Amino acid sequence: MLKTFSIGGIHPSDKKISKDCKIEVLPVPSKVYISVAQHLGAPATPIVKAGDKVKAGQVIAEPAGFISAYVHSSVSGTVKSVGPRKDLAGNNVMHIEIDVEGDEWAEGIDLSEDIVASIPEDNKAILEKIKLNGVVGLGGATFPAHVKLCPPPGKKADCLILNGAECEPYLTSDNRIMLERSKEIVIGAAIMKQVLGGCPAVIGIEENKPEAIAAMKQAVSELQASEKGYDGISVMPLKKKYPQGGEKQLIDAVMKRQVKSMGLPIDVGAVVQNVATSLAVYEAVQKNMPLVTNVLTVTGDCLPMENQHNYKFRIGMPLSYIAEYAGGIPKEAAKIISGGPMMGKAIANLDATTVKGSSSLLYLTPEQTVRGVESACIRCGKCAEACPMGLEPFLLQKYARNGMMEELEDNAVQDCIECGCCLYSCPANIPLLDIIRIAKGDVIKIIRGRGQR
Amino acid sequence: MTQTIIWTIAILVILGVVLAVVLYVVAEKFKVEEDPRIDDVEKELPGANCGGCGQAGCRAFAQFCVESEDLDKCFCPVGGNDVMQKVAAVLGREVAAKEPMVAVVRCNGTCENRPKINEYGGYQSCRVKASLYSGDTGCSFGCLGCGDCVEVCQFGAISMDPQTGLPIVDEEKCTACGACVKACPKGVIELRNKGRRNMRVYVSCVNKDKGAAARKACTAACIGCSKCAKVCPFDAITVENNLAYIDFTKCRLCKKCVAECPTGAIHAVNFPVVEKSVKKEE
Repeated sequence: MLKTFSIGGIHPSDKKISKDCKIEVLPVPSKVYISVAQHLGAPATPIVKAGDKVKAGQVIAEPAGFISAYVHSSVSGTVKSVGPRKDLAGNNVMHIEIDVEGDEWAEGIDLSEDIVASIPEDNKAILEKIKLNGVVGLGGATFPAHVKLCPPPGKKADCLILNGAECEPYLTSDNRIMLERSKEIVIGAAIMKQVLGGCPAVIGIEENKPEAIAAMKQAVSELQASEKGYDGISVMPLKKKYPQGGEKQLIDAVMKRQVKSMGLPIDVGAVVQNVATSLAVYEAVQKNMPLVTNVLTVTGDCLPMENQHNYKFRIGMPLSYIAEYAGGIPKEAAKIISGGPMMGKAIANLDATTVKGSSSLLYLTPEQTVRGVESACIRCGKCAEACPMGLEPFLLQKYARNGMMEELEDNAVQDCIECGCCLYSCPANIPLLDIIRIAKGDVIKIIRGRGQR
Repeated sequence: MTQTIIWTIAILVILGVVLAVVLYVVAEKFKVEEDPRIDDVEKELPGANCGGCGQAGCRAFAQFCVESEDLDKCFCPVGGNDVMQKVAAVLGREVAAKEPMVAVVRCNGTCENRPKINEYGGYQSCRVKASLYSGDTGCSFGCLGCGDCVEVCQFGAISMDPQTGLPIVDEEKCTACGACVKACPKGVIELRNKGRRNMRVYVSCVNKDKGAAARKACTAACIGCSKCAKVCPFDAITVENNLAYIDFTKCRLCKKCVAECPTGAIHAVNFPVVEKSVKKEE
């Protein structure tokens, strides 16, 4: 019996159209725009100015606070300007515009494809490398990785969980890297597990990716046979259920432990990192390669098979450039999503550029995007059944519409992970998540304000 | 028969007296001392309980008025100066008259001026829309048009104009309680003074983009050219972040800026129409 999380969950279609498309490398465009806000926390401060020559892999913005990250140039060339530009939601964010000249990399970066399996011993140096190379969590939240890998004093990690669930329909980038870069991911896991004090590491993969499970198992056994430091790493196939890739859900599935309300995974001894983050850690530590590339899926029902792609992109590439290179935007597409169909965001501005956490360009057809007409709640309880956090969305939305903050807090609106299960399951088409998300923000603000007083 | 009636009356009277004494004792024992003036002040207030004064309803405001040393700090925007004069009379104190205010929508992004570049299919609420993205036009600062301000107005003073997609404030009904100002996630609505004979001059734009970008998104946008600031004889206009702002405490309604603005972003409202025939008569 395969494991999964215990509360709620839904079963959206498990379409993975592009799962057999090999990762292709996107050529560098003539111009890139690199955002300084590619991570959770304070936007980085640019340290270059117009006219500066930069090489690929060179630091161009420094962290502006504890929860912040370095940003590196993904190309070599001349900085043309530093200023506001619209991101994919259409809001102004500071971008660094670079005119590309050649493809010269900064010194000290190992560009070869040889796999370096021996892990350095100095944990401090490893953490420093992860921080300096700007590694952030690539599962979606882009939380700086080095912060997660330093448990606060008094807390110890019992288990490192690598998230290879990729529970969102359509997305296949994690699947592809697990197939093509499996050894590197395992090495990254071994590095992180050593930093965390040698706890076991579990790679959780959903059952609908059998090739990835086999490839990862093989990589683990090969590395365990040939190198030291790979004991205690295992691959765990998981039952398919959305949102398995949610941090708290994955901890529940793998360790059978529940994170308390407003708590952190480390409270129950868990550290969760995405497989793509593990790959980035490998690149940063073993190759001294900053996080300037990632893999993104170009997919959708309305896209012919030959136009489905998994691309290795560099940060700062305009999305319109990628769409064009991939064969243009299909006529049937009504909406383009960045991220999966469940939690991703609609792209309002195709001139926006890729960031560290970009994971897809997903074309949706008009039928897929249309919202049904809202009708009255009949309290059928489907949303409460689906909620993986055990909340009662129908109740929360009523409270939220009436501004009842105390009741919202008592009913734990702050625990909402915004997975969208309630909205997906509602037969009355009530925009549950839209309403609850706003209320959650308000309640968290109240709770934080209380702590400061 | 008669005896039964007499007994009944007697018992009820005795019971009534005993209970009255108990009630009196309890009421005296647990009496809450409250300034009687609070009731008097509350009677003068409009009773809308809108919270526009910053207090939790009219009774809280009455208590605040009674307790505060300086009545000038208290102001009921709904009742205005009349009510404040009455409150001052009840309390036997003085209060200075305040200039009446009105909510002003600082966006002129009509469907013609500001074409839509995408379609929003989500929940019709400005707050939800603003949390998702910058809006369905090229301007990421202006009115989102879902009508959060209409919903929050307790006086029915705001309505959406179906033609322009922008809210309209009914000056007669607006009490300047400020609920719409708080509800607008984009900060488009501002409370400004009503002005002499309701005449007002204001910049009807909140776009802080650079001139070219602002103009591209909306033909009626303020492009931050500073022409208005140069022409203003009273130093009432400041330009910050590519956006002009007219300080209504300094503006003397000369309208020089209105003529100077290249995009027509500065609006002058309620000015009498200049009749050319007047000149001829002279």
